[in-house]
Amino acid sequence: MSSIQWPFPRIGIAAALTAAARRRVRRWARKRQGIDASVTSLQSRRIYILPTGVGLVFALMTFAMLLGSMNYNNNLSFVLTFLLGGLGFVSMHQCQRNLVGLELSFAGIEPIFAGQTAKFRVAIINHSRSARRGIMLYTDAEVSEVLDLRPGESKVFVLAVPTTRRGWIRLDRFGICTLFPFELFRSWTWLHMELQGLVYPHAMDDAPRPPPTQSAQGHRQHDARGEEDFAGLRKFHDGDSPRHVAWKAYARSGQLFSKQFAGADTSSQWFDFDAIDANDAEIRLSILTRWIIDTDRTREDYGLRLSGQAFTPAHGAAHRRRCLEALALYGLDDNRG
Amino acid sequence: MAKPRGTDGSLLASLPWTLAALAFALAPHVQFLPFWITGAFFVCASWRYTIERRRRALPSTWIRAILAMLCFLGVLVTYSSISGVGPGSALLAIMAALKLLETRRRRDQFVLLFISVFLVMSSLLREQYLWSLPYLLLAVLLTMTAWLRMSAAESETMRQNFRTSTRLVLYAVPLALAMWIFFPRLASPFWAVPIDTGTASSGISDTMSPGDISSLSLSSAVAFRVNFDNTIPAPRDQYWRGLVLQHFNGRTWTGDELTIASQPEDQIVFGGAPVAYMVTLEPTRQQWVFALDMPYAWSLARTNIGPQQQLWRMQPIDQRVAYDVISYTEYQVDLEMSRSIRDRYLAIPARSNPRTVRLAQQMRAVAGSNADFVEAVLMKFHEEEYFYTLRPPPLGSNSVDRFLFDTKRGFCEHYASAFAVMMRAAGIPSRIVLGYQGGEMNPMGDYLIVRQADAHAWTEIWLEGVGWTRVDPTAAVAPERIDAGISGAMLDGTAAAWGLLPPSALLHRLSLTWDAMNAKWNDWVLGYGPENQDKFMQWLGMDDPDWRKMMLTLVSLVVALVAVISLLLFLRNRPPPRDRAAVLYQRFIHKTGVTISIGETPAAYATRVRSRFSADSIDTITSAYLDARYGPVDPAALQRLKIAVSALSHPHQQ
Repeated sequence: MSSIQWPFPRIGIAAALTAAARRRVRRWARKRQGIDASVTSLQSRRIYILPTGVGLVFALMTFAMLLGSMNYNNNLSFVLTFLLGGLGFVSMHQCQRNLVGLELSFAGIEPIFAGQTAKFRVAIINHSRSARRGIMLYTDAEVSEVLDLRPGESKVFVLAVPTTRRGWIRLDRFGICTLFPFELFRSWTWLHMELQGLVYPHAMDDAPRPPPTQSAQGHRQHDARGEEDFAGLRKFHDGDSPRHVAWKAYARSGQLFSKQFAGADTSSQWFDFDAIDANDAEIRLSILTRWIIDTDRTREDYGLRLSGQAFTPAHGAAHRRRCLEALALYGLDDNRG
Repeated sequence: MAKPRGTDGSLLASLPWTLAALAFALAPHVQFLPFWITGAFFVCASWRYTIERRRRALPSTWIRAILAMLCFLGVLVTYSSISGVGPGSALLAIMAALKLLETRRRRDQFVLLFISVFLVMSSLLREQYLWSLPYLLLAVLLTMTAWLRMSAAESETMRQNFRTSTRLVLYAVPLALAMWIFFPRLASPFWAVPIDTGTASSGISDTMSPGDISSLSLSSAVAFRVNFDNTIPAPRDQYWRGLVLQHFNGRTWTGDELTIASQPEDQIVFGGAPVAYMVTLEPTRQQWVFALDMPYAWSLARTNIGPQQQLWRMQPIDQRVAYDVISYTEYQVDLEMSRSIRDRYLAIPARSNPRTVRLAQQMRAVAGSNADFVEAVLMKFHEEEYFYTLRPPPLGSNSVDRFLFDTKRGFCEHYASAFAVMMRAAGIPSRIVLGYQGGEMNPMGDYLIVRQADAHAWTEIWLEGVGWTRVDPTAAVAPERIDAGISGAMLDGTAAAWGLLPPSALLHRLSLTWDAMNAKWNDWVLGYGPENQDKFMQWLGMDDPDWRKMMLTLVSLVVALVAVISLLLFLRNRPPPRDRAAVLYQRFIHKTGVTISIGETPAAYATRVRSRFSADSIDTITSAYLDARYGPVDPAALQRLKIAVSALSHPHQQ
């Protein structure tokens, strides 16, 4: 799980047993704690603590020192031994208190493409008047940075989760832990927040070229300018072609108008899921993703036709997102839970 | 070479602290360690620091293995053993030095800090002075700061680390104190490991050969301290009996194997008033237990009285011990003595010291009785040109002859030896007693300090009908040695050179005060053993203390203290109190029964709920809340808000 290894080596049966025990403990914790709200304050009753490997060595050392002090009846080494023992107790409580009262909230996730790493962002706020040190978030595979939180400070921790498939990616459980102050103890808790993010299909690298530009009606355009049926006038905007200016209207009213034509878009393209020459739906989605990314970069309009859904040609971040979302969720149960 | 050896400077922040903690832990050992070990440590430490600073690579495994072998061999050669505090601390220092050379990651430094804790511990086993406690506290503080520095996540300032570790150590102090007081002390160790404490010393040796050493090494080190219960015997009665020597080979006096007297109660008849006192004996690594002539009862465990009335313990005294003794200064010992035993106390090797033997026989013939003879010999020492000196000339074979007839200079051993030989030659059984005589009263603590310089040798002779009688021939030569202590006895004017005469009275007072503080420290901190603990527990009101009661008290105290610490930490980590205005506004929202949505301003909320209540009260509450929460500090606004919220009644009552 976390990168902080339990001190015992994992081999054979022992490994299997540890793994089974760990699953059991997690199930128990999940049942005990329930689902956490998207803003969760850590209460002391849910924070667990165990000694680390260093802590066990420390305990062993202190015990050896106690035996030595008893054997020699040496009162000053008793002082040293008990001081270290006392520090053990103190660091146990300090370690647990280091997490109590922290407020965690989901700070969003940027959509990514399959194969990339999803970055769940979790904000942690320290409302208290004392600094919290050495706080770290972790998942089964990854750990976040280790950060300190000054009084009143909040910081965003990033949990990286590798993705392979498109669709919703969920982070059912993540942990927060600390080793402060002396790494003798590790206190942690699991959080079960509903964290999810969207994974777009992987954009195929060697995708075939996009289909040639087509008109909305599906036949080849005969007029490169796309001027067909006059549809009306609208106010002139910067960037409108001077050839479309209604000079007659200008002469009448003294205002500039542009002529509008219907049914034509010089640069619009339609990407059709069903028209792609590939057997596998995932490959088709992957090709579509590539086309959308590339075309959107040229700021040309494009439309998407997915079985049952159609997105009329446009461009821009919102359009791109809508299209990619549709691709990401194509054929999946669009249930956000 | 699979392991990477490069360094990246990541240890730069923590390494200096780790090195400082190690050096501090090593400091008390330096005077006991061979020079090359300290040197090796400092070379490795500065080498390692340079490597980190210049981002160089660590030395290869081969170099480290060779260095380790060399150092280990060096320790073996130096100490010819690897157990005990000396070789142990040497090995720890070597381990620290070598571990430094393979410390690459942050967490490798844990091992170094564990080593530094063990170094501190072994220095405490070696010597426990008054300053050892502040030393140990500082060492723990430094080690823990280095520890924190090593595991600190972000680059915190050293100041912060130091403050945090100080705070944690301060929390730990009451816990440590509770455990220290109540942890049951064992009367005897589990296993007797000799421990070469650097402080053990004695002015008394097991044998006596006057003339072998030509000067007596005098030290002002404390041999033992004595607290008298009430009466303090006169200085001339302060003979602290140690061991008894009765075999003489012409040059050296030796004692018997240590045995237990078969029927000690039959040997001694006590008389006069008892003297009760407590002796705190510094470690000697010998078995002799010193008590005032003649001990009647003593509290030290596993201690016996031998056939010659010498007290000895089964194990050598390698730690400071305190024991109560009752002595009688008037006594009669061995009123009856069998022929065979008497012969043993008369034995002198044939053909040794012939002049002395002849002289003794002549003088005995002249004297009317044994008592007259003793008197005559003492008069001879007193009236002829015999001198008391701490630096007598060396004597050859027939040392007694040489001393009595030629050099005529010596200290207690010479006089005791000569006297005893003369007695034996004249048919009076005699023996030598080694111990201490006198001491200095410390008015600061009202106790007697007996120093190594007070070591003394005297004689006992056996007289018919009287038993063993103490005769101190040194008293005949230098009575002031007996009456005033060693400082008064130095006739050759070298006293100041020996450091026995403090340069001024003020310094002397200071040294006496320091000694009194040390005595208290020894009694109450270092000497907090089973007896003192028992006394303290009874003083605290625990009746019939035993280890179960003490452990129970310890556990409950620790639990209570930990709870207090936990509470302190809770208070530190508690979020600041909520704004009073916010609390009141929350109550208002609760009263309206309309939930406020996230991001909704008080004004927007007010328009939403205005229809259900009197618009006035809603407006009052809203404006008072805005004033109290966001306006300049104004208690009146808060008061207004409070009144308005209380006055607001539930909607259904309207």
